[in-house]
Formats: sequence, structure tokens, C-alpha cells
Amino acid sequence: MNSIIEVKNFTKKYGDFTAVNDISFNVEEGSIFAFLGPNGAGKSTTINTLCTIFEKTSGTLLIDGKDVTTQKSEVRSTIGVVFQDSTLDSKMTIDENLKMHCVFYNIPKKDVEERIQFVLKLVDLLGERKKLVGALSGGMKRRVEIARGLIHYPKVLFLDEPTTGLDPQTRAHMWEYIMKLQKERNITIFLTTHYMEEAEICNKIAIIDGGIIVAHDTPYALKKEFTKDKAYITTKNEPELEQLLAQYELKYLKKEGYYKVDAENIDLLLQVLSLHKENITNIEIKKGTFNDVFLEITGKKIREEA
Amino acid sequence: MNTVFALWKRGLKAFIRNKTGLIFSLIFPFFFVYVFGAIFKNDFIENPIAYMLSGVIITTVFESSLNLASSTVDDMVSGFMKEVLVSPAKRIAVATGQLLSAATVSTVQGILILIIGLFTGIKFTTWTTPLYILCAMITVGLVFSGVGLFLATKVRSGQTFQIIKTAVTMPLTFISGAYIPLSMLPKSLKFVAYFNPMTYATAFFRMIVLEKTNLSTAELVKEGLAIDINGFIVTPIMSFGIIVVIGLMFLILSTNSFVKTDFSRVNRSSNDANSLWG
Repeated sequence: MNSIIEVKNFTKKYGDFTAVNDISFNVEEGSIFAFLGPNGAGKSTTINTLCTIFEKTSGTLLIDGKDVTTQKSEVRSTIGVVFQDSTLDSKMTIDENLKMHCVFYNIPKKDVEERIQFVLKLVDLLGERKKLVGALSGGMKRRVEIARGLIHYPKVLFLDEPTTGLDPQTRAHMWEYIMKLQKERNITIFLTTHYMEEAEICNKIAIIDGGIIVAHDTPYALKKEFTKDKAYITTKNEPELEQLLAQYELKYLKKEGYYKVDAENIDLLLQVLSLHKENITNIEIKKGTFNDVFLEITGKKIREEA
Repeated sequence: MNTVFALWKRGLKAFIRNKTGLIFSLIFPFFFVYVFGAIFKNDFIENPIAYMLSGVIITTVFESSLNLASSTVDDMVSGFMKEVLVSPAKRIAVATGQLLSAATVSTVQGILILIIGLFTGIKFTTWTTPLYILCAMITVGLVFSGVGLFLATKVRSGQTFQIIKTAVTMPLTFISGAYIPLSMLPKSLKFVAYFNPMTYATAFFRMIVLEKTNLSTAELVKEGLAIDINGFIVTPIMSFGIIVVIGLMFLILSTNSFVKTDFSRVNRSSNDANSLWG
């Protein structure tokens, strides 16, 4: 697999403040790449620099072998961007928005109709093409933006929080479209998201915090490395359980009415449980979630952006 | 070139779709004609309705073309400008398309008022007059589209912009001789009027509409068509020259500024007041 996005020693400073500090990573062609991080970690700075909107301070950023600083025009034709905030022209229809986009991207007139049909079919909006964008729902607008971002057949599609603010159903649909795209057209997708469970679908994940990449791996590897399964135990005899847990050297946290016990070592846990079984009123084993990975790495909770 | 045309068409479409705006933009001028025409019936002006109409038409063209500032700011706030920014489209083509569409819309609005004006008091004796009028309207439209675009590129806040716009356009229209003859203004305001580009635009446009091209300089001053700055007479032709110079200046400034502006700064949701300021 060859890399379609190559970032080497990228640094961005705003005056004295270093937003991104010497990061390097590659994205393989045809993969879905998730870029995660708390607010202010350097996520947006990186994505905006890759999209040729911001100027870098130093380093090399290449998309499909083209430099984002010196070959802006070439890079812009190669990428599609869906920003977090809508960038549609709400006074025009879906059709007119897409046609305008085709003009900007120099798409031959004879291909326009075919392409509009193709992308609108992809996001299930073929029947609505004459509607004014201003009259559409939030989810529909996002779909129009994805359609628009694809109409010039980009090699890389940047999605800046594509599902933020959408209801769960629309979110699920959104992901269907994204997966379909990646499979059918072998488009590389670079996305940022707040929803950890969404990051799990991706091929590779990079977590950025404080301007540096703190983790970069497959979701599976990250999960394996950073999460632990936990047992939630409720007991009638709290002192006895505490004593047993200490005796078997199992880490635990006492919570309101239950114990959160480290379930890494199943053997030890089972021994404790069998000794304590008369007193146990409830037990539940929980798998580590991707949220745990994030918290473990960045030490912060992801907050919704204002 | 395609970009220029597409944006031009977009501007026209938006204009045609905004029916309420269109109707009010036509009603408003006639309200002014009626009010001010009645107030300023004096001996200097032989045809007060035509006199007022000419002022109102050029003011409409002026205000409508200056509206490019508002629509560009809207495009920044709505994010549309960001879409332009990440596209390979040339920024200079985008600026040109925006300028041409604003100039066209304002000229069309001017023509609509003129047509109604033809039934209410304006009369032409030669066929060249409408041609001159058209040229004058396009010129003024282009000039102030340039000013508007320039203003838009300097804006950091969608909300404050509307206030600034009103604060700029109101004095410019009222101290230009379009509604109130300059001779009736107090001395200090008259002085301000000399620095107002609209004063000159109004003077030469009115001369064309009233077909006073053959008058002597003294008569032009008396009719308020030439501007007497302490004995120095600015003839309508010179007025036209002044407008063209200002226009070229702003067209260059605005396209230059447009190419360099970082539109992503203004691209915020409108309720996010803090990020819009500064």
C-alpha cells in the first residue's frame, strides 16, 4: 500500500504558541483514517493545513505526492472537503450548489449531469435535487455536502466531524455512505470525530494531544494496549470482598453500592468470586471501550465543541 | 471565465428570487420622490419630479451595488466563501464574478425605476439619452460594487457590519444632492459633500437624465448640476472623471484585498458572537 498523505515534521506556530509540534504520519491510499484529539489539540490546524487553508510554519505535507504549500491548486483538485460548519449556498437548490461546484473544479460540461446523478444517488437525495438547500434538514444538508465533496472525484475526502449534531439514525446512515464510498471508489477518507465508537470503524487512528501525536495505530491495537476489562460487583458483605481483593492483589475501586474490579486476570478474579459467591448479589463484566483508550491516552474527556 | 459567469448568474438568480426585496426596492424610491419632490418645489428647479427621480435612480444604483458588501459578508458567514477557498477556482475570477453581478443587479434596479419614471415625469428628446443613462448606471454600479467588496473584505463581524453599512450609506446619500439640493445644505455639510463621491455621481447622472448637456457653466451651477467649490467649478464631465478614478482605485483595492483575505476567519455560525468580533 502506498501513502496518499505524507506528513513529515509538520510544525505550526501562532506567534509564541505552538499549536502543532513536529508531527509525522502517513495515511495509506484507500483507507479510513481517524484523527482524534481534545479541543485545541491541533486537530483543526492539521486538517486546515492539509486542505491548503492555513500556512505551515515548517515541515512537509504531501497529498498524492503534491505539496500543499507550493502546489495548492493541484492539491485542491485532488481533495474534497466537508467542513464542520455548512458551506452550502442556502439560497440555491441542491442542483445549483452542485453545478457551481463543478464550475469551480473545471468539470467538463458534458459530465456534469451524470456526476450529479451519481453522487446524489449515493446519498439518497436524487429526488430532492430541485429543493432549496435552506429548506433542508441538518442531516440532509450534510449529505449534500458529502455529495458535493465527491463530485469532482477526489482521491482524498476530508470530513471534519461529519456526524456531529446529527441524530443517531442519520449518523448510522452517514457511516453507511462513508463505508460505501471507500469500498466502491477506493477513496481515502481522513476524518475527525468526537464519537469514539465511530473511530473504531476506521483502519487507522491517530490521537493528537498538546500538538503532538500521542498514539497512532489500528483501533484493535490501541484498544488492546490501553483498555482493561472491568467487573462490576455488588456484595452483601463489603469488608470480606475488600479483604479478598487485597489478598489476591486485584486492583479495585469502591463506588456507590458496587466495586469496580480489574478483570485482566480472569483466574484470580474467579477464585475471589468463588470464595465470595454466597454474598454476591450482582456481577457484570464490561469490555473496555474506545472512550477508555482516549481517556487513558489524553487524560481528558472529549468535550463537545461549542 | 466559467467561474465569472457562474457567479454572475448566481447573483442575478438571488436577485430575482428575492421578490419581496425587489418590490420594496421599487416602492421606497417613489416614496422619496413624493416626499422630497413636494418639499423642495422651488424656483431653481423647473421639473422637480424629474429632478428627484434622477437623484433617486442613481441612489438606488449606489445602494444596490454597495449591497455586494452585505451579500459577500453573508457568503462568508454562511460558509460559502470557504467552499470557494478550498476549490481550485481563481480568486480573481470569483471577485470579478461578484463585481459584475452586483453591477448588473444594481443597473437592472435603476432601469426598473427609470421605466416607472418615464410614466411619471421623465421625458427624453433624443435616443442617445437612454444610452448615456445606461452607461452611467453601469459605471456607478461597478464603482460602488468595488467599494462594497472592499468593505466586505475588511469585515470581521457579520452583525457589526450591518450597522456600519447604514452609518456609511445614510450620510452618503443625504449629503450628495440626490434628495436635497446642495444649495439648501448648511455650509459645513456642503463642505462634507465635496468629499462625497456620490455628490459627483449624482451631478453628472442628473445632467444626463435632464438632458442639460448644452447649458453654460453658470447655468449648470444654478441648476445644481455643476459643483462650485469656492469658485472652482466641477463640471459634470469632471464629475464623471472623479467617479471613474475612485472606481478604478476601489476595483483594484477590492480585488487585491479579496485575493488576500482569509475568509475562514468570518466563517462562523452567527450566534457565536465572540468569535465574530476582533
